[in-house]
Amino acid sequence: MYEKYPKGQSRGRHWKHLKQILQAENYQNYPPDEPNYMNIEAPPSMHPPKRICDITGYEAQYYDPRTKLRYANAEVFKLVRSLPDDYVQRYLALRNAAVVLK
Amino acid sequence: MPFISQIERQTDYRSFPSSVPIVIDNGGSYFRIGWAGESDPRVIFRNIVQRPRHKSTGETVSVVGDHDTTLLKYFDCTRSGPRSAFDNNVVYQFEIMEYVDHPVLITECPCNPVSSRCRMAELLFESYGVPSVAFGVDAAFSYTYNQRLGVCDKEGLAVCSGFNTSHVIPFVEGEPVFEACCRSNVGGYHVTDYMKQLLSLKYPQHMAKLTWEKVEDLKMEHGYIAQDYASEVKLFQNETKEAEEKTRCWQLPFTPPPVEEQPSEEEIARKAAIKERQGQRLREMAEAKRASRINELENELRGLDFLLRQLENVNEDDVPAFLLSTGYLSKQEIESSVAKVNQSLRKTKREQVELEEKAEAATAEKFPLVDIPDNMLTPDQLKEKKKQIFLKTTAEGRQRARQKRAEEELQREKQNQLEEEKRLENPEMYLEKLRTKYKELSEKVEQKKLLKTNGNNTNGNSTSGGVGRGERMNAAKKERMRLLTTAAFDRGKDSRQVKDIDPTFTPKPDSGLCQPADVPRARPLTKEDFQIIMGVERFRCPEILFSPNIVGIDQSGLDEMVGISMRRFSPKGQGLEEKLTSSILLTGGSSQFPGLSERLEAGVRMIRPCGTPIRVIRANDPIFDAWRGGSSYAASLHFPEQTFTKMDYEEKGEDWLRRYKFRYTL
Repeated sequence: MYEKYPKGQSRGRHWKHLKQILQAENYQNYPPDEPNYMNIEAPPSMHPPKRICDITGYEAQYYDPRTKLRYANAEVFKLVRSLPDDYVQRYLALRNAAVVLK
Repeated sequence: MPFISQIERQTDYRSFPSSVPIVIDNGGSYFRIGWAGESDPRVIFRNIVQRPRHKSTGETVSVVGDHDTTLLKYFDCTRSGPRSAFDNNVVYQFEIMEYVDHPVLITECPCNPVSSRCRMAELLFESYGVPSVAFGVDAAFSYTYNQRLGVCDKEGLAVCSGFNTSHVIPFVEGEPVFEACCRSNVGGYHVTDYMKQLLSLKYPQHMAKLTWEKVEDLKMEHGYIAQDYASEVKLFQNETKEAEEKTRCWQLPFTPPPVEEQPSEEEIARKAAIKERQGQRLREMAEAKRASRINELENELRGLDFLLRQLENVNEDDVPAFLLSTGYLSKQEIESSVAKVNQSLRKTKREQVELEEKAEAATAEKFPLVDIPDNMLTPDQLKEKKKQIFLKTTAEGRQRARQKRAEEELQREKQNQLEEEKRLENPEMYLEKLRTKYKELSEKVEQKKLLKTNGNNTNGNSTSGGVGRGERMNAAKKERMRLLTTAAFDRGKDSRQVKDIDPTFTPKPDSGLCQPADVPRARPLTKEDFQIIMGVERFRCPEILFSPNIVGIDQSGLDEMVGISMRRFSPKGQGLEEKLTSSILLTGGSSQFPGLSERLEAGVRMIRPCGTPIRVIRANDPIFDAWRGGSSYAASLHFPEQTFTKMDYEEKGEDWLRRYKFRYTL
């Protein structure tokens, strides 16, 4: 085991992640009309964003400023307020809105 | 219909000449490989790799695809979970993928980064010794295959929704136009993940049951695309019958707890009898014990009586000698022990022992030495006097306490009476007063809690002060304890009082403590607690294909992507655009949701000018068409023209590979 990975040498091979690959490609050096991985990506939607209740999936008319969750009616609001904090964060993480501490 | 892996050792490798190409559909979720010209791939497996360690030998092994779980028990899988070679839809870990003497046709994503393509070529050439390689896009193969089947036209759009990404690629003359293609990073993975997260948030108690594979099955089986999300969700919100029909329920294995709540009459009677018998036995035992104790005490008493009588008969002079033989010091001692025995006898006979009263009455006699001046006493008597004084003071203290208690009792009674009077006088007002008092108190408690949390926060922020960790903890602990006690005290006192008078009163529940979704522990678990109900989730999760912003991906949905692709399409001939929209082919694993084609058609109709012919067609087989297209392509005579060899690769270099372009029409 130890002969296989001598000290000071990293185990296995490190593979570049997609972000690194794309950065290394230097797409800015190529003509912009040539299709590449970056520029075929879809732009942000022009439709108004759909606001749905984070818990039930109904159309959300309201927004709770304390938990930052969207909710559909009073019943859901009660549930929202009774949710423990980690659940709130998990619901927020579903739509990429959770507070990330770095 | 869930995907099925088919892994079987192929034995006919030698029977194929080395000119027959191997076709690989290297997909994000599944890996499909087979011989060119055949209709179905030979081997299909999940495109994941796991590197578990053998439990006894400690060797690491690479396990490709999902294997028998019985096999995996020999390996320790805790250190490394299954990994995919894909980051988004680009292969980045090549180690995962490893002498093959056949040309290879392998699929890649549209506009694959050159370095990724290079690595794949390198791998195929160097580790496998493949003679020649061709790269093609899976969606294009699927489109050409369906075109050959007559499903779609030469001009058209391929909407390919895969595992990690979705693409829209326009086709002109059967060739893909990558200049106008469009990709969004939403695919089957996101749908499954969203569903998994939602369900495990909804049913935290069944989190362990909601494995990735199971949720994927649920998605494939029950997921559908709503024609109009808003109206569909309204159905569920208004709890209509239609919605009820659309709700699916997954019953988890549930075994009812052993029936104990309804024992039969006889059972109850039998149990009661047993209990009764046991009680009887205990009582008898206690009785016997008591009897023996009484007997013993009586004997002792008799002995002492006898001793006293004997003492009377003895001469004055012989008394000390006699006492010495008995072990007692004086007649008084014998008498006191007689009294003691009598007392315990009475106690055991359960007679009311009015000991205290007697003791009080006897106080005066009991302490005869207290009032006699010291100088008249012998040293022994002095000692005795001290003892008596002590006893007397304690007895007096006890009496005083008793008196005080009685007084308090009286006071309380009075107060209660007063309250009662007030209540009877004006019950409404009284009630109101109590309520406000309760509210005030509960607010105070709430505030204290808030203060406490805030205080903790500030504590956490300003830890750099001179206060040591231990002390801080102590202070916090103390504060917590204090709050808890006050809260408990206030609550207990109040609710008890109010409940007597106001039956409608319910104490405010402590917010933030109860978990609504949790199974209430108070009642026994029923079948319903082991059900996973999917209503809105059935179409809420696939909806992200059309509105990725639901999961926080700021990109357009499938219908808009078609519009974008049309916009990017440069040779604007009116006829051509109409041709494109009249042959939209749906392919890829995520295009299997029911309702997708109708929804896409409606979406495209909104984007395109009025009267545009629109036809959305589902691919013949969304999953295998890409491989089949590749297979038939590789089987054609012109295929060798499209491949490149290791020599080409080494001579021409990366830049050439970047411009390498595959022709799909031959």
